[in-house]
Amino acid sequence: MAAAEEKEEEAALPPQKRFYRQRAHSNPLADHTLCYPSRPQDMDWASLFPSFFPPEAPPGTPPARVEFADVGCGYGGLLVALSELFPRSLALGLELRGKVAAFTRARIRALQAAQPGRFGNVACVRGNAMKHLPHFFLRGQLSKLFFLFPDPHFKRTKHKWRIISPAMLAEYGFVLRPGGLVYTVTDVPELHQWMLQHFGEHPLFEPLPPGQLAADPLLPLLPAVTEEGQRARRAGRPPSTAVFRRRPDPPVL
Amino acid sequence: SDESLFVYDCSSAEKQQDGKGTDKGSDDILAFAFSPSGGYFALTDDSKRLILFQTKPSWECLSVRFVNRRCTSLVITAAEDKIFVADKSGDVYSYSITEPKADGKLELGHVSLLMDVALSADDQYILTADRDEKIRVSLTKAPYSIVSYCMGHREFVSKILVIPNCPDLLLSASGDSTLRLWQYKSGEEVHCCQLSTICGPQAAKPDQKYTVSRITYCCQGGYVAILCDSIPTVYIFQLDATAQQLLYKQQISLKHKGWDIAFEEMGDLWILQEDKEAPLLMYRACDGQWKAVTDDKGLQKMSEYIQDNWTVFEGFVGAGSYYSHLYKASFDNMDEYLQRKEKRLQQQKKKKQDLQHGSSGQAKKKMKTEEPSL
Repeated sequence: MAAAEEKEEEAALPPQKRFYRQRAHSNPLADHTLCYPSRPQDMDWASLFPSFFPPEAPPGTPPARVEFADVGCGYGGLLVALSELFPRSLALGLELRGKVAAFTRARIRALQAAQPGRFGNVACVRGNAMKHLPHFFLRGQLSKLFFLFPDPHFKRTKHKWRIISPAMLAEYGFVLRPGGLVYTVTDVPELHQWMLQHFGEHPLFEPLPPGQLAADPLLPLLPAVTEEGQRARRAGRPPSTAVFRRRPDPPVL
Repeated sequence: SDESLFVYDCSSAEKQQDGKGTDKGSDDILAFAFSPSGGYFALTDDSKRLILFQTKPSWECLSVRFVNRRCTSLVITAAEDKIFVADKSGDVYSYSITEPKADGKLELGHVSLLMDVALSADDQYILTADRDEKIRVSLTKAPYSIVSYCMGHREFVSKILVIPNCPDLLLSASGDSTLRLWQYKSGEEVHCCQLSTICGPQAAKPDQKYTVSRITYCCQGGYVAILCDSIPTVYIFQLDATAQQLLYKQQISLKHKGWDIAFEEMGDLWILQEDKEAPLLMYRACDGQWKAVTDDKGLQKMSEYIQDNWTVFEGFVGAGSYYSHLYKASFDNMDEYLQRKEKRLQQQKKKKQDLQHGSSGQAKKKMKTEEPSL
C-alpha cells in the first residue's frame, strides 16, 4: 500500500495555495493509493509527533496517544486552533485529497519553524476516514472527533458517500471513548438536519446538555477557524454547529 | 425414512416484479447455509431472492423473500430464529425465521463489499469480513456496538469461522495468502500461517496466491481443511487449541478444480470437484493419514445424484477465478502532481543557489513571494 514518497519543501516557508489546488470532492469509496498502518499498534506516531516521543523518555512511560481526530481536515485551520487551545493533546487531521493534505503538512511545518516549541502536537496524514479509522485508532482512544464542513453530497444516490451515516456512526462510536464528543459544523441546512437526525437516532450518541455546551471553549471557534467557515460567512450562509456525546456501551448480555 | 432426493428448482420460483426490469439476475445460487442443528436451510441467488426451507420432518420451502442487494454470505442463528445476510454494498440484514414472510431489518454496515458473515456459537457476537482488510466483531443484539476489529490482514478477508469448540477463537483467511487465528473479542491476533511457505512455493509459479475459498472444520480432532482459489489441492491442518496454533498435516491433490469441501461430524471429508465422472470424493483419517474411500454407500448414492443432475453444475465448469478482481488495483492522480512539485522544488533550490552566488537583480525581483496564506 506504499504510495510514492512525497518530497517536501526544504525551507519551512508558509506553503502557497496555488501549488496545492484540488477540486473539492473525492470519492471515499475508491481504492486510492493511501498509506495506512495495518493495525493501530503498527503506526509510527513518533515520526508525526517527534517532540512527544523523546528518545530519552524513561522506560515504562506510556507512549503519547492521539486524542483528537479532525475528519476531512482540509487546509488545517482547526488543527492550528486545537494546537493553541490544547497544547498537550495530540490531534491528527485526516484528509483524503492528497494535495490538500500536503498543504496542511507544509503549513504545520512552517508554523513549527517560525515558532519553535509550538505546534508539535498536530499532524496531518492523507487518509480515508470512512475506511481506515480502525487502522489508526484503538477502541475508545479518542476524546474528540470533528466533522467541519463535510461534503454535502446532495444527490440521493451519493448519500452513501456522506461521512455521517448509520453505518459510520457505529465506527465513530468505536474509536470514541464513552463521554467523548463529536462536533459537526455545516453551512448546508439539509445536511445539518441529516446529521442531527442520524446522531439523534443512534443509540451510542446523545446531544450534549445545554449547560455543557455553553461552557465549551471550542464552540464559538469552530465556525470561524476553517477556510470553508470563512467562505460561508462571506457568502452569508451562517454555519450550524452541533455537539454529541458518546454514551456508555450497552451491556453484554 | 424417505430416501428420495429433494429438488427445488429456483427457475420456477417467484421472481421480483419491479417496474424497471433492468436488473434481472440469473438463477445462480450465490450463498447458502444450514442452521447449526440442520433443521433449516436458506439460500440467496442472483435474482436477489432469499429462500428459506425447513428440513425436518421433510424438506419444505417456507418462504421466498427479496433482499436489497446481491448477497455474498448468510448465516442462521443457533436459536434458529433469524438469518443474517451480508451483501455487496456492505450491509447486513436480518430476516426472521419465526415470521418467514417478514421484511428484513438493517443491522450493520461496512463501507466495503462484505465477503463473509459468522456468528459465535452462542449467537452473542456477529462477525463480518470485508473486501478491505477488516474483520468486525459486533454484539448481535446491539450491532451498532462494535466490540473489536481484528486487524492485520493485508488484502480482502475471504472466509471467517468461529471455532465451534473453542468459542473465543476465530479463524480467518485472506487474499494475502495467510490463515490467522484471533482472540476475536479483543481483536488480538494469536497465530498467522503463511500458506505460501506451507503449500508452496511452487517452482512454476513463485508468486502464486493462496486465496482460501472454503474452510471446513471438524471438532473431532480439531481438523481444518481448506480449498484455495484455482488450486486443485485440499490442505489439512490440525488446530492446537492450547498453543493456539495451526499445524500443517497433509495435502490432497485433486485431478480437477475443487468446488467445495465439507467435514462430516465423525471426520469424513467430502470433496466436490469439477468432474462429471467423479464429482465427489471422500477421505477418511486412518492412523493420522487421510486416505480416499471408494466403497462407501453414501458416497456412491450422492455421486449418482450429482451425475444425474449434472446439467445444474455444467454452467460452472471452467468458470474463472472469483477472487482475482478483488485485489486492489492502486489508482491515483497524485503522480503528475508529485512530478510538478519536484520540479518546483528544484527550481526553488536553483534560484536560491543563484542568489547566494550574487547573481543579478532580476532574480531578486522574482523572489517576491505571494502573501503567505496562514
